Amino acid sequence: MSALPTTGEVIVRHAEPVMGTVVSFDMRPRGLAFERSRAALAKACAVLHRADDVFSLYKPDSSLSRLRSGELRVGDCPPEVAVVLALCELAREQSDAWFDPWAMPGGVDPTGLVKGWAARQAADVLRAEGVGAAMVNAAGDIAVFGRPAPTRMWRVGVRAPHAPDGLLCVLETEGAVATSGGYERGPHVRNPRTGGPASAALSATVCGPDLTFADAFATGLLAAGEPGFPDVRRAGYEALVVRTDGSCAHTPAFPFAGATNAGDVMRRSA
Amino acid sequence: MKRAPIVLAGTAAGLIGVVSYHSSSPSSAVAVSSASGSTATPSSTAASATTTTTASTKTAAATASAKTRTATGSDVSFRYGDLQVKVTMTGTRVSDISLVQLNASDPHSQGIDQAAIPQLQQEATSAQSAKIDGVSGASYTSAAYEQSLQSALDKLKA
Repeated sequence: MSALPTTGEVIVRHAEPVMGTVVSFDMRPRGLAFERSRAALAKACAVLHRADDVFSLYKPDSSLSRLRSGELRVGDCPPEVAVVLALCELAREQSDAWFDPWAMPGGVDPTGLVKGWAARQAADVLRAEGVGAAMVNAAGDIAVFGRPAPTRMWRVGVRAPHAPDGLLCVLETEGAVATSGGYERGPHVRNPRTGGPASAALSATVCGPDLTFADAFATGLLAAGEPGFPDVRRAGYEALVVRTDGSCAHTPAFPFAGATNAGDVMRRSA
Repeated sequence: MKRAPIVLAGTAAGLIGVVSYHSSSPSSAVAVSSASGSTATPSSTAASATTTTTASTKTAAATASAKTRTATGSDVSFRYGDLQVKVTMTGTRVSDISLVQLNASDPHSQGIDQAAIPQLQQEATSAQSAKIDGVSGASYTSAAYEQSLQSALDKLKA
């Protein structure tokens, strides 16, 4: 089997406004006809819009809003509500309750997991439709499959919390990368154990196989900081946090792209 | 106690069947493009790019082969200020998106905006750095950015 050439490959890119943000796609059809790629993209976007319709807390008529207001019970909601709540329960258990949608004010709030779950589903659709490789980036929460080129993995820059257009490091992934931070929207994530703002870290990045859980763990680590690392690792994920003083800490097997980046982070944390 | 890595499987495929199509079509949004390095298509989306391509060079390269049009989106307010984007289209393709106006209402949010907006610009224009395929880290201003962007795109279609 010959390696695919890195020049001349068709790339399909798309940015979909949905879920109050923009979700961008980078697809490598790899032999899938362009029209079929477009159809796959439409299906993936439909998944995102469906998730938005069901789970948005900005839409008073979403199933989740009506569940929180007591108007609906879980059994009255579309089936994915029960699925997402079950995933939340699993993520709560795996994170030693540092991620806890039931500890949020105003009723159960799976927001810390839903965006990752939806993006992961969109990526799954593309794969199932025959797309060769793709990256789905839901405003910073990233699900990938395949490789952008035979000899390299997808490379993701992690944003530095307070350095304008600065990157903290670059990592390589074949699954998922999620980052949570209070720096873009203020301290919107809460510490489930105290009820106060999650203030153990400026930002938390989690890598691993499934964006659903990477997203939940990143949310949890904002409250937990480094003490949350063992739980994340037991679940099969790696993490990097930026402490409140700007220094960094990461799990030993965090997938830095090359030693230079690891060195940079180590210097920052020194 | 060692727990197995958790990976969601099965449920996703099961749910796809119940998903309904939405009125929003991908072709109406920002950029669906394909490029082949072997043709005269402007190179901004070609995988062969080995150096960081700036927006200005892409626009210049594209100008040679197709008509270029620009439109400025509406001024959109968000929590910390307001912003406005300019879109350049070459033929039917978005070749550049730039920020023409950003007013942040407090010093804290200026730090936020500078960090958040270049990321979106990069993704929306599909500019490909040879080194990075994407950026992880969220941005609050996405909704305002997208709103202004969409209004600019709407003008270009008119």
